[in-house]
Amino acid sequence: MRALGPGSVSSFLKIILDVIYVGLWVWVSLLAIFTVAVLLLSFNPELITSKLHIGSSVDELISKGPLFAGALGAWALLSGGWMVIVERLRRVFSTLTAGDPFHPDNVRRLRVVGLVLAALEIGHYIFAALAKWLAPDTKIVDGSFSLSAWFPVLVVFVLAEVFREGARLRREAELTI
Amino acid sequence: MAIRVQLDRILLERRMSLTELSDRVGVTIANLSILKTGKARAVRFTTLDALCRELNCQPGDLMTYEPGPGEAHEED
Repeated sequence: MRALGPGSVSSFLKIILDVIYVGLWVWVSLLAIFTVAVLLLSFNPELITSKLHIGSSVDELISKGPLFAGALGAWALLSGGWMVIVERLRRVFSTLTAGDPFHPDNVRRLRVVGLVLAALEIGHYIFAALAKWLAPDTKIVDGSFSLSAWFPVLVVFVLAEVFREGARLRREAELTI
Repeated sequence: MAIRVQLDRILLERRMSLTELSDRVGVTIANLSILKTGKARAVRFTTLDALCRELNCQPGDLMTYEPGPGEAHEED
């Protein structure tokens, strides 16, 4: 199987990354719009009650508006984190397709991916704790510690170190006459 | 690094330009400049062989070891 070029694994992965990136942009934009809409509706309930007559569930929806807005905002932040990761991976991939995977910038990009993964996991715990505090009767997220969530962080940092050594060897090769 | 490349001096003695040497040994001028200015980290035996052949010299004529203060027993 070819390593680079049309029909290769890398071209297939590049398509996946591009699709995910565009999908995340659309998703984050929609979440941002929904967050603003829920916030506005919670401050001005007449906007929804004057147009719709759904029943008592609307009142409950309106009373928990800020909570929903917070949940949506947290979701948007989470998706934003994934966007940063995918964007960095796309840049790493562009150096691969250019035939220079051990570019020194890739070390920094992989470290950013590792840090964002760790931040997302910590944010997950914070969000779970806040949700439990603000809405104890609802189980929005599970904030329990998960080793499988931290393992990718370790993997990415190990890969970043491998790339750092690769970048050093690349520099050595450049200065070998 | 305490290795000094004497390419400038040898080229002057042979009245040869860097461009001419580049054509003869098949190494780019950019790479020869890196070698000449002492920025190179390593030299391939094939490059050294070509340089010695075209400049009619020994490897020891091209490079000398000149340790600076505190460099005599240090590994770089």
